[in-house]
Amino acid sequence: MSDATLQADRARPPVSPFVERLKERLFPTPLSGLLSALGIAAALWIAFVLIRWAFLDATFTGTPEDCQQTTGACWAVISARWRLMFFGLYPYELHWRSGIAGLILIAVIVASCVPVFWSATRLALLWVVSFALFWIIMHGGVFGLETVTEEKWGGLTLSIFIFCGTALVGMPLAIVLALLRRSRYPLVAKVAAVLIDTVRSLPLVTILFTVSILLPILMPDMPLSKISRVILGMALFFAAYQAEIIRSGIQSLPVGQEEAAKALGLGYWHRMTRVVLPQAFRRALPPTISQFAISFKEVALVIIIGVFDFLASGNAAYGSGEWAFTYVEVYVFLAFVYFLFVFSLSRYGAYLERRMRVGK
Amino acid sequence: MTVAVSISHVDKFYGSFKVLHDVSLNVNEGEKVVICGPSGSGKSTLIRCINQLEEHQSGDIAVLGRTIDGQGKHIDFIRRDVGMVFQNFNLFPHMTILENCVLAPMLTRKTPREEAEAIAMQYLERVRIPEQANKYPGELSGGQQQRVAIARALCMKPKVMLFDEPTSALDPEMISEVLDVMVGLAEEGMTMLCVTHEMGFARQVADKVIFMDQGRIVETAPPEEFFSAPKNARTRDFLSQVLAH
Ligand SMILES: Nc1ncnc2c1ncn2[C@@H]1O[C@H](COP(=O)(O)OP(=O)(O)O)[C@@H](O)[C@H]1O
Ligand SMILES: [Mg+2]
Repeated sequence: MSDATLQADRARPPVSPFVERLKERLFPTPLSGLLSALGIAAALWIAFVLIRWAFLDATFTGTPEDCQQTTGACWAVISARWRLMFFGLYPYELHWRSGIAGLILIAVIVASCVPVFWSATRLALLWVVSFALFWIIMHGGVFGLETVTEEKWGGLTLSIFIFCGTALVGMPLAIVLALLRRSRYPLVAKVAAVLIDTVRSLPLVTILFTVSILLPILMPDMPLSKISRVILGMALFFAAYQAEIIRSGIQSLPVGQEEAAKALGLGYWHRMTRVVLPQAFRRALPPTISQFAISFKEVALVIIIGVFDFLASGNAAYGSGEWAFTYVEVYVFLAFVYFLFVFSLSRYGAYLERRMRVGK
Repeated sequence: MTVAVSISHVDKFYGSFKVLHDVSLNVNEGEKVVICGPSGSGKSTLIRCINQLEEHQSGDIAVLGRTIDGQGKHIDFIRRDVGMVFQNFNLFPHMTILENCVLAPMLTRKTPREEAEAIAMQYLERVRIPEQANKYPGELSGGQQQRVAIARALCMKPKVMLFDEPTSALDPEMISEVLDVMVGLAEEGMTMLCVTHEMGFARQVADKVIFMDQGRIVETAPPEEFFSAPKNARTRDFLSQVLAH
């Protein structure tokens, strides 16, 4: 900017700084001004078309025929088939059980995010009790509840269950692997390193095929159900990545922290659980949150080994002939539910970081 | 008089680099020893061998009658009776001052919380910062943090205290508040080994001053003699540099 324009700027009467900045950014020269105007017009037009499709011209309830009379989105498929998407092939008249079971897991996830529960005993108690409850309600066979075997579980409830199981088995495993990799015994450290690096270099799909197809062939007497095996496979995969995240948190601590704990006479276990790991987790929080988000979305991969998760149920929801034309609406809805989960997770991560910056 | 710390003919290597050469030193109960010497002469390494933050390769170290034998359990017992204060304080930043102080007594000595907190408050009062008990280390000045670190070590009721340049990371105006606490501790009869270049402190409290150079103890003398008539040429060089400031 030349001196002359600078002076002209100063001479101008005060305008609100926001409007001023907008003007400067969007209309600095006639040509960019024109391009900006075109861009804004295009954006407005796209927004209008989307809103018209999603709300103004949309059909919210009714039959496939009702939908075909309008040009907008056919949300009627969601109101007609949401139970299939949420509960999969779970017996129709027992859907309430799958609903309650799913809500229990969501409630426990939310509760785990509240600092009051942040002690190893409280978290362990919370999760063990809620998994037992989940099992009783979903599987039944006790308290006069009709038995529903795992093959019939499905939908969003199953996806959340697989995610929770993965995190619950995977996180302790990750901590153990991270600590073993830092062991003072070279052989132990080496074995942990090879294990972590091997699992990390395999695609998740191969692990899923191994646990679901190969394992039953190799070990026909395998007592674990398919879903348990899927959870174990996913947990192993999660643990390999999370172990490295935790280790990076530990390496980033000043050595003086562990030395001070040693000098106070704390044993290995206390040094790790009270001094090293709590700080390592704080430092590794952002990548840990992404790892959770990635794992939640990776659950959708189980569709290829024939587990009827949320995505598979979504495919079934439009795949049955009469609703076949509504695949866009169904996928938008699936994406929206995924977005709700993962976006809340990121916001929660941001809140935690702010909170911890204060020193807690 | 009983010997609190006995070090005899200790050699210590980092890889192939020999840091300590045949070091021997006895510290009696209640004795205050100041260790000085140029940077890299092995002062930290020597006192860190006493609580086995570093392992030595040959020679014997015995603390309060117990010989260090390289066994894990054994060393944890010795560490509980030997307090250490570091140059960089090393408070646990995720815990309040009070939590920093009660952690080790509660975990290792199984002291009930109320009792541990009462003891902690007593020591925090002694280092004159009881009002900071519920703050986090990051909210305190360097001098305050170092006083907390001393209080934290004292909460374990140690019989020996090790100080590794406790005032070197402090702004000049905060040095005296930490030294005052250390002088108080010395007057109460604590057995102390201090690595420090605060020669005023050495004159005031030390029973003997040790000069180290290149991994060897070069000179050991009571402070009057050490400062007025150092025998060794390297000690004289060093003193002229330190005292010039
Ligand atoms: N962990 C280590 N690995 C290798 N060399 C080290 C290590 N710690 C210290 N040293 C070396 O050992 C020597 C003595 O160190 P130190 O005891 O810290 O000296 P001082 O405390 O007297 O300054 C120095 O030369 C230093 O570079
Ligand atoms: Mg040093």
